[in-house]
Parts: sequence; structure tokens; C-alpha cells
Amino acid sequence: MINRKLLWLFMLPGILLYTGLFVYPALSGLFYSFTNWDGVSPSYDFVGVANYKDSFDSITFRKAFMNNIKFMIVVVVLQTVISLVLALVLAKNSRTHVVFRALYFFPAILSSVSVGLIWSFIYDPSIGLLNMSLQSAGLDSLMGSWTGDAKIALYAIAFVQIWAHAGQMMIIFIAGLHAIPGELMEAARIDGANRMQIFGRITWPLLAPSAAIVISYTTIQSFKAFDLIFVMTDGGPNYATEILTTYIYHLAFSNYSFGLASAGSMIFLVLLGILTFFQFRALRQEGARG
Amino acid sequence: MKTQRTRLALLLVMVLALTGVLSACGGGSDQAANGKVTISFLHWRGEDTQTFQKIIDAFEQKNPNIVVDMQTLTSDQYQTTAQAKLTDGSVGDVFASFPGAQFEALAKAGLFTDLTGESLLKNYNANLIEAGSKDGKQWAVPYQLVYNMPIYNKAIFEQYGLTPPKDWDGFLKACQTLKDNGIIPIAFAGGDIGPGQFMNTMVMNNEPSEDIFTKVESGQAKLTDEFWVKTLTQFKELNDKGYFQPNSLGTKDPAAGALFIQGKAAMLASGSYQLSQNAKQNPELQQGLLAPITVSADQAKYEGVHTSTFMLAVNSRSKHPEEAKKFLEFLSQPDIAAQYANETGQNVTLKDIKYDSKELNIAQEWADKKTLFQPRYTIVNAENQKAVTNSIQAVLGGATPEQAAQDAQAIIDQQIGR
Amino acid sequence: MKWVGRIIMILYGLLVAAPLYFVVVSSFKTSQSFYANPLGWPDTWSLQNFITIFDAQPMLQYFWNSARVTLFTVAIVLFLGSLISYAIVRLGGRLGKFAFAYFVAGLIIPSQVIMLPLYSLVRQLGWSDSLTALTVVTAAGLLPLTVFTLTGFMEMLSKEMMEAGSMDGAGEWKIYWRLVLPLSGPSLSATAAFLFVMVWNDLLIPLMLLNSTEKLTLPLALMQFRGEYVTDYTMLLTGVVITALPMVILFVFLQRFFVTGLTAGSVKG
Repeated sequence: MINRKLLWLFMLPGILLYTGLFVYPALSGLFYSFTNWDGVSPSYDFVGVANYKDSFDSITFRKAFMNNIKFMIVVVVLQTVISLVLALVLAKNSRTHVVFRALYFFPAILSSVSVGLIWSFIYDPSIGLLNMSLQSAGLDSLMGSWTGDAKIALYAIAFVQIWAHAGQMMIIFIAGLHAIPGELMEAARIDGANRMQIFGRITWPLLAPSAAIVISYTTIQSFKAFDLIFVMTDGGPNYATEILTTYIYHLAFSNYSFGLASAGSMIFLVLLGILTFFQFRALRQEGARG
Repeated sequence: MKTQRTRLALLLVMVLALTGVLSACGGGSDQAANGKVTISFLHWRGEDTQTFQKIIDAFEQKNPNIVVDMQTLTSDQYQTTAQAKLTDGSVGDVFASFPGAQFEALAKAGLFTDLTGESLLKNYNANLIEAGSKDGKQWAVPYQLVYNMPIYNKAIFEQYGLTPPKDWDGFLKACQTLKDNGIIPIAFAGGDIGPGQFMNTMVMNNEPSEDIFTKVESGQAKLTDEFWVKTLTQFKELNDKGYFQPNSLGTKDPAAGALFIQGKAAMLASGSYQLSQNAKQNPELQQGLLAPITVSADQAKYEGVHTSTFMLAVNSRSKHPEEAKKFLEFLSQPDIAAQYANETGQNVTLKDIKYDSKELNIAQEWADKKTLFQPRYTIVNAENQKAVTNSIQAVLGGATPEQAAQDAQAIIDQQIGR
Repeated sequence: MKWVGRIIMILYGLLVAAPLYFVVVSSFKTSQSFYANPLGWPDTWSLQNFITIFDAQPMLQYFWNSARVTLFTVAIVLFLGSLISYAIVRLGGRLGKFAFAYFVAGLIIPSQVIMLPLYSLVRQLGWSDSLTALTVVTAAGLLPLTVFTLTGFMEMLSKEMMEAGSMDGAGEWKIYWRLVLPLSGPSLSATAAFLFVMVWNDLLIPLMLLNSTEKLTLPLALMQFRGEYVTDYTMLLTGVVITALPMVILFVFLQRFFVTGLTAGSVKG
């Protein structure tokens, strides 16, 4: 009974738009990764896989790669846990909860340029909100350089990323919680299950689809992070916050090595693909077990 | 079935109609009717747009058949997206460019129109427009003149009986005096522009040559050589002795500026371009420029560092090169350049300009002194430039000068190998 | 248990609210009083920063630009995206999976990769410096996310119901328009809110495609302010407040939409 032809026609406008203005440019990126194009000149030469070799050898590329991994792990773990906890706390539809949900969600509606500017001021060591609050609380020893300290900077920005998006992820979890039939909980409660048991046996397994959305969205989003770092530290100090996207951007647009940058982005793309693949697999198995 | 097809057709029409409505809204971008020629002027000085608009109005009055459409990007964006925008010739018939990496790339791409022998060049100070020449031809004319040297607060210096020191010991002593009196000796924006600005005066006498970084980039010299390790050691000394504000690496340009403007810091490691901004925020400030002399007085070859930048050029892909050149000639008139300088607080590279503001004359005093073209801009590979400034951050973050120099050199070695 | 929840709720609330308080309060301070007392309540609430910005900048034009691009983009993406998701769910099997994968693959492509090729393509099409081009390009880039989210939601709708619909002789369009779309209301509104925020705040694509000052969107305008008000913190923070304001107003309005959309009843539908 399914009209397949018509369904393909349904997709046609979207496919055309997406292929023409997204897939095609991405493929040209692949093409340029085998050239030494500088992004400006009319001509370029083919250099084979030299760009790929140079990328893997590059000290800055390796640093950026490690930073990317660290940033992603911190953001995915903390953001998922925090947004889940917030969702559990605010699951019930009471008036207060609705207000707090709105508040938590709020940072997500700000542009990353705004968030970056705001937190640059907060982290400022001499006139920033954070150090001044610590000082007035008598905690001078905790005052720090935040984005200026190579050991902390990356995590300081990861924190901002979480600040901006945990509330957004919370909304997805809340939607998932509300999709769980109340009767199921009721029945379990009548059977004498405690809170932890209900969470472990009912809530969490049934929340798996929401968790899948949250985790995969967060992974991809944090792996692709760019705006915040671009606005706040631009990769500094001393490469401490250089991640792959900023590395690619700098190569392509400040260093006029568009070919090399394209190779970097293709590697980046493959990494992200692998990551997503394994994640989906793990989540599917998790879902199957639940 | 049939109704479905019709519906689908309707759907497609809707999409198209939507796009049509949109394009109707977006139309009218190029109104070149009534015989007028529109040229585009692309630059990054957002803070100067009001002055430029006045100059453009005057130009349009004199040339009623030319309309100048000014577009600005921020300087960060300009370094990254300008070249893409310039390549099709639809933007930036007249455009500005940075010396160093950007100039090289744009020149290689053939985006500059040769200006050699144009009469407008006679208005400029020949020494100051060299940054815009390459292979014996003048491709662009630097318009602004900046001294990339620390600004100091004269009142604070006087209060503690200090004068700009003549050697390294004197500089350290001055810093100590300031620190003992509860003043931050140097406000340093370690998080962004600080290392790139301050390195110039710090290195100029440790290796008093115009092409040391060119040699580094070609492999004839190394960052692990004495001149750079010494420079890093001196940075470390300033940091360890507490002559920068605490946590200087987390401090950004605005915050460092604020410390200076409020009189909490005696020096600001930036450049003359910031003099008039500072004065606007605190009109009582008495400012001067000074450079740390990192050697003994008799070994000091240079007194300061200058950069000629905002290099104006005519786009070789411009559809209206004659009109574009006319506009460039207009900007190169001494009276117009003077208007620009006096209203924006930027010094210019033209000859015999009369400056009215205090801040411009502060910088003008340096015109006759022995200054070196900004060493950082002689590094044409942006990744190398970053490795160099990052080695300063590494030292301030606790690395040894030797280690930091070695790490940076490793990155540069890779660039040479490429 | 209850008080643990309360404490978490309030602490996190403070964490979110404190920076926002700081920004809003600072925008009403003069530069001097900001430096003298960055944390406190302003001695006098000064509107000077707002007046200066509106005087010096074509703010209304920026608002209008952002609004236009955002509205049209979201409309196009939602419409095309929901059609695709519906088709994917209906097709199912290998073909459905393939179509899904084709779109979702776009999620992992960083915009930095496509920026330059995209720019030269737009140029060849003669679309430089046009808000329409920005709309179409942004829409194309957001289709992956939209398809990803909407397909996930639509898969939760029961297949039998769609089957039943087609048994009754309803065509695909009718099932899509009369049955699936209304039932997807909550997910559509949630996705719309998502998209709204993303388009409104986008930085990279407008940065590449727009040139003229009169066409800037708000985030670009904010970047421009950063260049213009280098040492003037309060002006910058005022810029942050003003550019966020329309979104805030819309959010207060959409918020109801959001939360009612996500209540148990409607999702279970």
C-alpha cells in the first residue's frame, strides 16, 4: 500500500537542496585535500597524499587531536549526567518546575558569541566575576587565571559549553520521562520497588531513546565545538585549547594552506564518523538489553 | 493518485514561491542605474567608519558619477575571510590589507594592481611604504603608522621620579620601584595581543637585524639560538618578579587596557594605536611611549618599533579600476589624510601632516628616532608566527626558556620541511 | 530526598542566573562605575549605553535581517525536513535507512570544511551578499539535524496507524498532512525552537556570505562591536543584552508552547 515513488518525490526538494549546497561543497573539500591550493590563488597543483602525511606528523595537529578528545569526554559525561539529574529533579509539571526549566534552558538561546563574551568577562583574572567573588568569600587561594592557565583553560571552556547546553539537553530527558507511562511506575511502586529500583529497571531503560539523542547530539556537538573557543581563547595559551576545528580554521584562513586544512578536515570527518558509529552500536546494544 | 500528484506539484510551487518571495525581499542590491558607477571600499577599521563616511561624502561631491560603498569587517575576520571575498572582484575595488602573511598571499594570488610610478606615491614618506612593495614594485600603500611599543603613564612615572630607562637594569629597577609602591608595572594582555605586541621591542636589540625571522623561517637561524632564548628569559624574569599583573595569561586586551586607563598600571604593553582610545576613556591620562631596552645602553641599536599597516590597494579584478584609483588618489591627498588622522587618532604614513591632537603628536615624536619595522610581521607563515608568540605564553605558564624555544623550533622545522 | 532535589534546583539556578545578572546590571552602568564596582548594584541606572548604541548603529536593520533569515529558514527546513522524515519512516527497510544515513552523514561534517567551497559556489551562482542566499544555504545545512530529530520522533508514532490510514484509502499526502503532522506537533515545535535558536545565533555562514553593513545579522553585528568598543566593557555587554533581547521575548512566548508541548498527554498521543 505504500506509494514508494511518491515518497521519493516527497524527499526530492530536500535532497536537491542538501546535495547542491552541502554535500557538493563537502566533496569539493575532499578534492582540495589532494592539492596545495592556498584558498586565494587561481591555480594549484596536485600533491597526492602529502597533506595527509603532513597532518599526521604535525605537532599542532596532534595537540589539537588530544585536546579534542579531552574536551569531548568531559563535556559528554558531565553534560549528560547533569542534564539527566536536572530532568529528574524537574520532571513533575509544577509551576516552580516550569519556571526553573525555563531558567536552565535560557543560556541555550544566547549566541555563542554572547556566551563567549560573557564568560570571558567572568573568567577575567583581575576584574572578572569569578575571582572577585572568590576574593570576597575569602577564598583567595582558589583564585586562578582560568582561560590563561594552560592546565585549566580547556576545562574552563568545557564548563561554559555545559553551562550553555545542559538545560537544552534536560528538556529532551524531560520529554522522555513524560513518555514513560505512569501506570508502569505505579505498578512497580505497588509491587514494593524503591526509588533506585524503579530508576534502574524502568526509568533508565525506557529513557534509552532520549539518552541516545542526548549523548549522540552532545558528542557530535562537542567534537565540532568551535564558536566558544574561537571567541574565548582562539586556541591559546600555547595551544592549550587548540582543537581540530580551530586548527583547521587557522590553517585555512590565517595560514593560507587550504589544501592542508581540507586534509585535516577529512581526517576529522572520518574520526567523527567512527565515533558516531561505535556510539550508535553501543547504545543500540544497551537498548536491546533494556 | 491524481490528487496526490497535484498536491505534490502544489507543494513544489510553494517552495519555489517562498524562495521567490525571499529573493524579492533580497533584491535591489546593485542599483547601478542612472549612469553612476559604484565602487566598494573594504577595510577592517570599524571604529573609523564615521570619518571615512565624511571623506566619502566629500569624494562623491567632487565625483558625482561615482558612488563609494564602504564595507568593514573586524580585524580578526579581515585576516581570515577577506581574501575569499576579494577574489571575485565584486567587493573591495579599493581594499586594505595587513603587511606580512596576508600581503604575501594576496600578492601571490595577483590581487594587487601595480601602483609603481603613480603620482599619488609622492605624497607618502618613502621609507614608510616599503611594506607594500615586493619584487621592486609598489603593490599597496600603507596608510597608517603605528608604534608597537608600550604606552606609559607619565604622571605615575613622575610621581616616583622615573624616566624611561636606557638599559635593562634600569628597566628592572623602574619596575621594582613601581611595584614597591603598589602600582602594577606592566599591564600585559597575555591572553591575546600581549605576546605579539611586546615581543617586538623585547627582541629588537637582542638581535638587532631586520631579517632575523626571515632567517628563522628559512632555517638559517633557530629560535633555540641565543637571541630568542635570551628574550624568553627576560620575559620570564619580568613575570617571575611580578612585574606583570597577576594571572597575566588570562588577561585580555580590554582588561589590560582598563588597568592602565584607571591608573592601576604604569605601562601598557600594546601600541600607539591605543593612545586615543585610552584618552577618550580617561581624558586626564598623560601618556607617552617607551621601549624596554633589553641590553646595555651602548649596545642598543634601536629605540623602538614601528609598523606601517592598513595597506591600501586597487583590486586587480575590479570592474572599475579607474574610479577605484581616483578614490585612492583622493585618500592620498595630504588634507584628506590629515582629516583622517586627526579625527580617528591614527598616525599616517604621508609626508608633512599636521596633527592637532596630543596623542598623535606623542607618536609623531618617534618619527625621527631609530625604529625597526615590526619583527613579528616579518614572519610570513602564520603557523610560525603562532609558534613564536606561543613560546612566550609557554614561558609565562612555567616552562623553561630553553624548553619553550625548543618546542617552538620543532613546529617551525616542520614548516620548513613542507 | 525531596530537599536534595530542592538544593540542586536552587544551586544550579544560581549558577545560571549569576552571570546573566552580571551582564544585565553592567549594561546599565557607566564605564567608570563598572570599574569602580563591577559586581554591585549600579548607583544610578543609566540608559546611556543603550542610547549610544542605537544612535551609532542601525540596530533595527540588524534585527530585521536576523528575523527575516531566521523565519524563512525555519519554515523551509521544517517543511522539507518533515516531508523527508515522513518518507523515511514510511519507506523503512534498506531504502529508508539509506536515505536516513545520507542526510545524517551531514551532521558530522564540520562547517569549516565546506566554507570555502560553499563560498565559491555561491559566488558562481551570483548570490554573493544576499540574505536570500544565506537563507537557502543555512536551510540546506540544517536539514541533517532536522531529519535526524524528526525521524526519531516520527518512528515513535505507531506504524500500524499509518498503515491503517493507507488501508482506508488515504493517500500519502493526506496521511502526512492530516495525520502525521498534527501528531508530530510537539516534536515539530521543539525542533522549531531548536532551529530558531541555531539560525538566529549562527556565526560562520553569515560571516562568509554577507558583506554589506546593512545586511549584517545580530551575531555579526556583535562581533563588529567587539572591534569597535575594544576597551569599553559596558558597551559590549549592552550589545550582548540588546542582541539577546528578541530571543528572550520570543522564548518567554515560546516557553509555554514548549512545556505544554512536552507534557505527557500530547507525547503519548
